[in-house]
Amino acid sequence: MGKEVVIEFTNVTKEYKLYKSDKARFKALFSKKVPFKVNKAVNNLSFKVERGESLAFFGKNGAGKSTILKMITGVAFPTSGEIMVNGKVCALLELGAGFDLESSGRDNIYLKCSLMGMSDEEIAAVEPEIIEFADLGDYIDQPLRSYSSGMKARLGFAISVNSQPDILICDEALSVGDKEFRKKCRKKVAEIMADKSVTLLFVTHSTTTAREFCEKGIVLKKGKKLFEGDIDEAITFYEQEEI
Amino acid sequence: MIEAVRTIVQEHKSYKKQIFKLAKSDLIKTYNGAALGWAWAVVKPMVTLFVFWFGFTVGLRAGKPVNGYPYFLWLVGGFLPWFFMQDVITGGSSCIRKYKHLVTKMKFPISVIPTYYNISHIYVHFVLLAISIALFATFGYMPDIYLLQIPVYMLMMFAFFVVWSLFAGMLSCVSKDFHNLVVSLSRAIFWLSGIIYNVNSIDNYWVRLILKFNPVTVIATGYRNAFIYKVWFFEEPLDMCCYLITLIVFTILAIRTFKRLRKEIPDIL
Repeated sequence: MGKEVVIEFTNVTKEYKLYKSDKARFKALFSKKVPFKVNKAVNNLSFKVERGESLAFFGKNGAGKSTILKMITGVAFPTSGEIMVNGKVCALLELGAGFDLESSGRDNIYLKCSLMGMSDEEIAAVEPEIIEFADLGDYIDQPLRSYSSGMKARLGFAISVNSQPDILICDEALSVGDKEFRKKCRKKVAEIMADKSVTLLFVTHSTTTAREFCEKGIVLKKGKKLFEGDIDEAITFYEQEEI
Repeated sequence: MIEAVRTIVQEHKSYKKQIFKLAKSDLIKTYNGAALGWAWAVVKPMVTLFVFWFGFTVGLRAGKPVNGYPYFLWLVGGFLPWFFMQDVITGGSSCIRKYKHLVTKMKFPISVIPTYYNISHIYVHFVLLAISIALFATFGYMPDIYLLQIPVYMLMMFAFFVVWSLFAGMLSCVSKDFHNLVVSLSRAIFWLSGIIYNVNSIDNYWVRLILKFNPVTVIATGYRNAFIYKVWFFEEPLDMCCYLITLIVFTILAIRTFKRLRKEIPDIL
């Protein structure tokens, strides 16, 4: 059993500065006297995730789940504390977003994969698999603006799961599309998880889905960790907390 | 400060390949939507040139040949770099906002966006440069040795506007007011820079000097020096000094802004 740590948070705090208006924010660039409120989205959080583990985050809206995932992805930066992430992160956050609407589906596959650091040959190798999984038919060469939101989500999901990630992040993503596609997604995630080299982070309100995929759980409230442990215990704790 | 520079260099190094891909996709995106597509990259500047030529020669009856070159070609010499600068003055200021899906939805370094945005526009500039040289040739003015300095001015133009786009792009993320300010000033910049007149023919020394701290003036004059007046860039040390000072000032401003805002911008956008 490899005990390689792939994600480590040490005393991470993330504050959002809230200004009264955009004007105040602009003024703050030049003077330190402009007043602002601080919202602590994540408060002094520490945890570790090892390779092959699957971890679920529970918490109400505003508990800081999305902020944590954003920081792991590298989109947001912590205000203080340290974050270590080891491996290629692939986030299934807001699947339809992040595409270029004027380009075709195929071009978007190339663009998105190359932004994730894949070479042209690697992309060409996974391209058929992505196209097949997204099941877009002739639409693959049409500009993305003609896609329905379900089609965009399908393409996003297909790209993300087929880009050979080390860390897979799901944010309610498994609830997109119709029943059949959802089933396909779940099957794919289960398949990825089966070889034990991929780490899964999961954010959801649905405790049943979490139980299906995850071994461990963390319960958050207002940016603080309330509970960390086995998934069943975490769910019990979360459900009690909710009442 | 040094830390910020190191970050910028590092980000460019690790995204070397993607920069050119993104430049290409930006280019395709700009021109692909319309039926005429690529033709617009050429038609738009041509219309502008025609309008100014018509206004000045036919309307105001002012367009006299300059240094033996027809007035129309004189216009081409200065407008050629202006077409690039016009796009990146306002476009550079909105480039990070334009690509906010890269910043907020995935891990992508902000400092790289202005670079590929400018590369994408410099491609169009290459095409217009080739057309301009062909235009001069059809009028009977064959390319000569002075044209060899064009890459120097092009590099100066590119360097300044990458820095400008980084600086303005980040400020525009924080405040839309800043972008609106740039947009409303871009007209003024056109008339206050030596695009439609020769700065060196202004009598007042101080006005001339102040205008030269504007890189738009230095670069437009430089292109004209190459195409029309047949002057080398090293024969204009004052122009070069003024340009360099402005470039350094803006570089410092851009790096400071970068240091200040890099981690904040994904939260704001």
